Amino acid sequence: MREAFHKELESLDQEVVRMGALVEQSVQMVTTALMEADKDLAQKVRDGDQQVDEAVLDIEKRCLIILAQQAPVAGDLRLIVAILRIVGDLERTGDLAYNIAKLVQLDDFREPSVKPVRGLVAELGRASASLLGKAIDAWATKDESLAADLALQDNKLDELHTELIRRLIDLDGEENIGPALRLAMVGRYLERIGDHAVNLGDRVRYFVTGDAEFLT
Amino acid sequence: MANGTALEAKNLELWYGGFQALRDVSLAVPQKRITAIIGSSGCGKSSLLRCFNRMNDLIRGCKVKGEVSFAGKNIYAADADPTDIRFRIGMVFQKPNPFPKSIFDNVAFGPRVNGLTDNLEETVDRALHRAALWDEVKDRLHNSALELSGGQQQRLCIARALALEPEVILMDEPCSALDPQATLKVEDLMGVLAEDYTIVIVTHNMQQAARVSHMTAFMNMAEDRAGVLVEYGPTPQIFTTPKNKSTEDYVSGRFG
Repeated sequence: MREAFHKELESLDQEVVRMGALVEQSVQMVTTALMEADKDLAQKVRDGDQQVDEAVLDIEKRCLIILAQQAPVAGDLRLIVAILRIVGDLERTGDLAYNIAKLVQLDDFREPSVKPVRGLVAELGRASASLLGKAIDAWATKDESLAADLALQDNKLDELHTELIRRLIDLDGEENIGPALRLAMVGRYLERIGDHAVNLGDRVRYFVTGDAEFLT
Repeated sequence: MANGTALEAKNLELWYGGFQALRDVSLAVPQKRITAIIGSSGCGKSSLLRCFNRMNDLIRGCKVKGEVSFAGKNIYAADADPTDIRFRIGMVFQKPNPFPKSIFDNVAFGPRVNGLTDNLEETVDRALHRAALWDEVKDRLHNSALELSGGQQQRLCIARALALEPEVILMDEPCSALDPQATLKVEDLMGVLAEDYTIVIVTHNMQQAARVSHMTAFMNMAEDRAGVLVEYGPTPQIFTTPKNKSTEDYVSGRFG
């Protein structure tokens, strides 16, 4: 019964996974662009953001149609509510990758004095992309324990971020102020990507348990 | 829930001849709240509703085991008076069934039969007001009730039940013969009535149960056996996070 409706729900669910993969790829690409000072790759990330924005709009519209026409309840309702929240987080994550790409195009972060912190930034980039990947897996498989684990893993990201800021503050020389400020922003954006991944995990937990605490 | 219990079924079982229609049903209906009973056809929801004022007594071969307690007494006890019970627990049926009499006489019917003829006009006025029908019929109280629209007839039947000042109103799919507007009027009316009365409604329309009720009971055929109460809980919970898989499947239209 209600086959068309349930197929549409499945299709939306998969669309979120597809969109998540797009955003994850952006975060991976922008980390590479940052490390290799690849301004073309950074441009690719910037161009790709439009695709993400369009996907968000499309998913939101489809959710609204379902709410208006199908009056979903129970698990179907929780799926739609979770999706509406998740696409917001994914869209924001895409924007953060876009912001980093812009900074990559402004600076190549290859001054010798900045070099010591580059490894830390790379690690932060990899960790945030990995966390995002796990969040998307948790959604794809609706795995609550995987989702619950994300918050713990995010602590590592926070530590890396704190360490990065500490090392940037320690940098000497007027010529480093610009790159250091930009790297601080990069670090902040990557750390925020981790927070959005944790949010995604919370939406998975809301979908599975129905506990509205995971919507906050 | 702060409200006390109006009606409580305890291990209720019901047979129509050899066919068992209710199996070990226990549930407490809260006072001055709307309780919806949902489930697919033949699951026993109307049978359960009719147990609440012993309407099943009128069906030949019907046998009841277990208890329904109302105001601290088992309505199936040997000394219970079914007429008194139906006086205090009114019923509204699926199809509006006004008597072929005037609007006034329909509402006055119950009080007259029961000898409550003092202040009859006031009783009728009050019942029609409470049923949100007064403004539409005040100038034609002595016209035939059959002239009214389906929605008005159903509210007249509600007024007829209210004229006896019942404590509980049982509604068996009260909107299934009504158009959407008339349905919404009856639903609004139920919300207002729930301030003073306990309402139990059987409905096929799940969205109606979700819209109007405070508590929802889901009944199902377990292993082809009718009459099992699967899940009972606050309506928001049943429609957002049901505990039972078959409740989830039923409310989201995955079977039924």
